[in-house]
Amino acid sequence: MQRYSINVGFFLLALTLIGAAYAGLLDNYTLTVLMFMGINIIFASSLNLVNGYMGEFSCGHAGFMCVGAYVGALLSLALFGGGKPFGPPLLPPELAVFFFPLVLIAAGLVSALFGLLVALPSFHTRGDYLAIITIAANYIIISVIENIDAIGGPRGLSGMKKNINAMSDFFEAPWMFIWVILVTFVCVIILYRLVTSTCGKGVSAVCQNEVAAEIMGVDTNRVKIMAFMLSSGLAGVSGALYAHVYGYVNAQSFNILKSTEGMVMVYLGGMGSLSGVVMAAVAFTLLVEGLRFAIPALNGVLHDLSLLPASFEVSQVWKWVIIPLILILLMQFRPEGLLGNRELTHVFPRLKKWVSFK
Amino acid sequence: MALLELDAVSQRFGGLKALTDFSISLEEGELVGLIGPNGAGKTTVFNLVSGFYVPSEGAITFAGRPTRGLKPHQVTALGMARTFQNIRLWNDMSVLDNIRLAHYHRLGYGLADAILRTRRYRQAEKDIERESRKILEVMDLADFAGEFPKNLPYGLQRRVELARALSTRPRLLLLDEPAAGLNSADVDGLIRLIRWIYEEFKICIWMIEHQMKVVMSLCQRLMVIDFGITIASGTPKEIQNNPEVIKAYLGDSAL
Repeated sequence: MQRYSINVGFFLLALTLIGAAYAGLLDNYTLTVLMFMGINIIFASSLNLVNGYMGEFSCGHAGFMCVGAYVGALLSLALFGGGKPFGPPLLPPELAVFFFPLVLIAAGLVSALFGLLVALPSFHTRGDYLAIITIAANYIIISVIENIDAIGGPRGLSGMKKNINAMSDFFEAPWMFIWVILVTFVCVIILYRLVTSTCGKGVSAVCQNEVAAEIMGVDTNRVKIMAFMLSSGLAGVSGALYAHVYGYVNAQSFNILKSTEGMVMVYLGGMGSLSGVVMAAVAFTLLVEGLRFAIPALNGVLHDLSLLPASFEVSQVWKWVIIPLILILLMQFRPEGLLGNRELTHVFPRLKKWVSFK
Repeated sequence: MALLELDAVSQRFGGLKALTDFSISLEEGELVGLIGPNGAGKTTVFNLVSGFYVPSEGAITFAGRPTRGLKPHQVTALGMARTFQNIRLWNDMSVLDNIRLAHYHRLGYGLADAILRTRRYRQAEKDIERESRKILEVMDLADFAGEFPKNLPYGLQRRVELARALSTRPRLLLLDEPAAGLNSADVDGLIRLIRWIYEEFKICIWMIEHQMKVVMSLCQRLMVIDFGITIASGTPKEIQNNPEVIKAYLGDSAL
């Protein structure tokens, strides 16, 4: 029962969501929020592999998302047209639905290669120094992309939506939603299977005592390469999804603020807790969306009570005061996050009947 | 042929010569001690043998292979295991997981198998689980399989570390001060445990130890180093009466 329960559970959940979307029970706004939830789940839980399980401090995770977004967008535009940088499409738009998974995989593979950028210096440095290297890598990636005019430069790329819409010619369905939901579940299952295997526990061994890991036969350099590449590869996949959900990419969307969002989700959920980070990603997405309504409401109330001068408006920019503030409060009062490095099964032992994190 | 051979090994750290012309040859099935005052270079010898340091001069051969250029995990895979002076367990992983991870170098499956949960993965994990439970059983640790090492008393942590080292299936086991921090009752238990491991697993054991009681009752022969130089070697009896050794430990005026 344990062996299949998690897959079956995920499958049923995915089926329910997709079914509801297909039947038109969910409006466009709800669909968009759910899609960003999925993207955030992939982004945060892949960062968790490095920052949580391996105990490194990667601050530039959005850089890999950026690579994935651009690779995904460029491939999509090259294969099916719709954008400026390329000439006529290489394939007819009817094939878009079959090639989209390949686009995602390619985006993941290229991002994984960029993950080596960070993995190789990590052999010699840890902690603060590696954190600086990852920030630098984030900036290098963004600056390089912004300065290549052939791929849009600072203007970004657009036109990917057309390819998603083309999928509906093949079969009428909320395709983008389906892809995001399926890919999110696949990514979470990949990470779950990794961290519960003896092979993946080598990652935690490197975190908890690198010397002991090496002496007990764990090839620590290989483990680091594997973790960084898998982590950045999945971030790339989330980037490719992001590009297609928005239909537009711009390198500046993946700057240090985006990386910070990832870290907030990881530290909110608990480093080294897969279930915690998934919950945190869901909560964070809801929070960001909630603020979209809460801030104007608050603004209105404060003005009605004449607590604010009429010339001062509380704008959406305050989101970036509130979110870092959450991070500060979290570090003060619960530095280990919601679940620490425990899983849901430790908090609710009855779940053990269904899922095992052993 | 010797299991482990060190031939005139020297190690320099900058201007400091931590070890000078150290030679030893260990045969299969021996129980040998390495003693010397604090800072004599004993742990340096173990770090060289296990591949953490590359010797400045000299050659190390283990199981018929020169180990120069091998990483510690590759040396482990050749059949060498080690415990540490200050216990180095993975503290946020259960005791069982600590033992399981010691099988890492012969997992027999890769990342793809783990993600796809292939038959090879399931078989390997089943074998690892069975063997780990077995070693916990024989080491009297079965009751603590689910505990985190950091919550165990010191003596038990030592035992977990020994069980973990044995799980790599070594031919040579290096013990770096196994009795450090144990009270005298625990030390007696440790002596029995090491003797039992030695007889049960039929492996070669090389140990660094300060407590004379331990080395005298266990080791067949001893080497003494001081300031990185070998000053004596022989049976425990011979060593006990060696004036050089007494001088190194107690100073000139003791004679």
